[in-house]
Amino acid sequence: MGRRSARRTLRYIILYLVIAVVMAWALFPIVWMILSSFKTQVEAFQMPPRLIFQPTLTSYLDLFNEGHFADFLKNSLIASLASVFFALLLGAPGGYALVRGGFRQKQGIAFWIISQRMTPIAAAIVPLYMMFSYFSLINSVGSLIIAYSTFNLPFAFWLMMSFFEDLPIECEEAALVDGCTWFGTFWNVALPQARPGLVATGVLALVFAWNDFAFATAFTSTGTQTVPVAASLLISQQGIKWGQAMAIGTMIIAPMLAAGVLVRRHLVRGLSMGAIK
Amino acid sequence: MAPRTPNSTTAIQGTRPSAGEHTVTGGGWRRHLSPHMAMLMPAIIVLAALSIFPFIYIIYLSLTGAKLGSSELPFVALKNWIHLFNDPGVLHSWQVTLTFGVVGLVAEVGLGLGIALVFYNAPWGRNLLVTLFMLPIFVAPVVTGLLWRFMLNSSYGVYAWILQNLGMKLDVLGNIKTALPAVIAMDIWEWTPLITLIVLAGLQSLPIEPQESARVDGASSLQVFRYVTLPLLSRTLLVALLIRAMDILRYFDTIFITTAGGPADTTKIIGQRLYEVAFRFRDLGYAAAIGLSMLLVTILLGRAFVTLMYRRD
Repeated sequence: MGRRSARRTLRYIILYLVIAVVMAWALFPIVWMILSSFKTQVEAFQMPPRLIFQPTLTSYLDLFNEGHFADFLKNSLIASLASVFFALLLGAPGGYALVRGGFRQKQGIAFWIISQRMTPIAAAIVPLYMMFSYFSLINSVGSLIIAYSTFNLPFAFWLMMSFFEDLPIECEEAALVDGCTWFGTFWNVALPQARPGLVATGVLALVFAWNDFAFATAFTSTGTQTVPVAASLLISQQGIKWGQAMAIGTMIIAPMLAAGVLVRRHLVRGLSMGAIK
Repeated sequence: MAPRTPNSTTAIQGTRPSAGEHTVTGGGWRRHLSPHMAMLMPAIIVLAALSIFPFIYIIYLSLTGAKLGSSELPFVALKNWIHLFNDPGVLHSWQVTLTFGVVGLVAEVGLGLGIALVFYNAPWGRNLLVTLFMLPIFVAPVVTGLLWRFMLNSSYGVYAWILQNLGMKLDVLGNIKTALPAVIAMDIWEWTPLITLIVLAGLQSLPIEPQESARVDGASSLQVFRYVTLPLLSRTLLVALLIRAMDILRYFDTIFITTAGGPADTTKIIGQRLYEVAFRFRDLGYAAAIGLSMLLVTILLGRAFVTLMYRRD
């Protein structure tokens, strides 16, 4: 006891005070949005802000009743889930083959894939727009599936490589010695071991596609909009429907926050493109 | 060193072992290249279709006077490219992008490093706190934009209200002095958690011995951090920086929603300008040239990233 322990207590008090400030900074906007989405328009605009209020679902109900929110939700789900499906379908076996196949151009292919994943969206929009016009794909959800695959397929391919590289090779060797085919080894031995990685890859790819705004606003219009585009359109010439904007924002982020927590363990690897494990 | 007996499979196929590849005597990983090829090719073909065609096409477009809504592609040779290097607007946008990137990244790395150290030294609830702290990463940029517009609104925004009580009564996003700092602040809010997560992972994977021995030798905490921990983290920080730099070139959603590049072009980063050239001025040929110049920068950053990545072992 005495001075040493008092100093340590003080140190921890300061540490947790700093943490409290940092947490408030990071989380206040999110909490504020969720709170505002349950307020009436009048309450949401009151300054100084009201922290105690009667929650109401008006903004959410308006969103479903006034607009075509259910359609936008359907478009968002189809476009993002389909792109995730194709990304995993092609990316997982591709990444596995590149890891285990002993190809000499591995680093070259890796570089090609990373540049594809990181291509500026604005730069990709121009040629894709022309190509989609040519094939009459503008204003279709199909154009979004293709556009999202331009970043999700390289992402899935790359990240699955990183997960397969971590697997002990002995199990796969044993399977091959026992007469399993290459694809059988991948499917029955390697893939089940890499399942957490596959789930994390799929979830992160879903976040990227779901959160996209730029592609969707360039390639779709009224009938084929996604939820983020619908959110942006609440800002109109007549003013902004803030209650609905906060409600749609809450609905856009809620599933993604859950997804983020779900893959927390693999997050650093996923978001650093496998560079940091 | 005694010469090794050459592995017959290796000799015949002429491949040499590389990192991450495993040689199995007798098993012959490399005798079975074709099944691997069959698994690799679908992905490679689709990746090629998604990248090489648009890439060749955007090069071609940059040499034409293509307009949005017209199917004609009149060849104009290097006109767009000459324009690109003489366009004060584009130069200005690159400057804004650079300011955005440098200020944003310095703040994110500084804050991210500091916050990671704070979490690293926290004995209780670290996991839960970090999990909550990282949530902004998952907020869709379009929502970030909407949310900050709401909070910075001069008549009913909560952040504007706080600023007013601090004596700053202004329309933050509409003022040429404060708009750029405000959109940079949004980026810092959303992406500092990513840097924190990356640094925290780096800290947790560091060997403990160098820090211990420095402390035994009488180094202060600050000295240990500056001369032992920080150098060990340099690769981690560089990876984080490169990824964020590529992201800043990649996205323009938040700016599109909040200021659309205004007021008076003070927040018009290059991606936002390209989008306007393409969809407001309908000049796809010129937009293609701008896009290629952006792609070039991304490719340089990506090259550095891959080099760094394969240097790790």
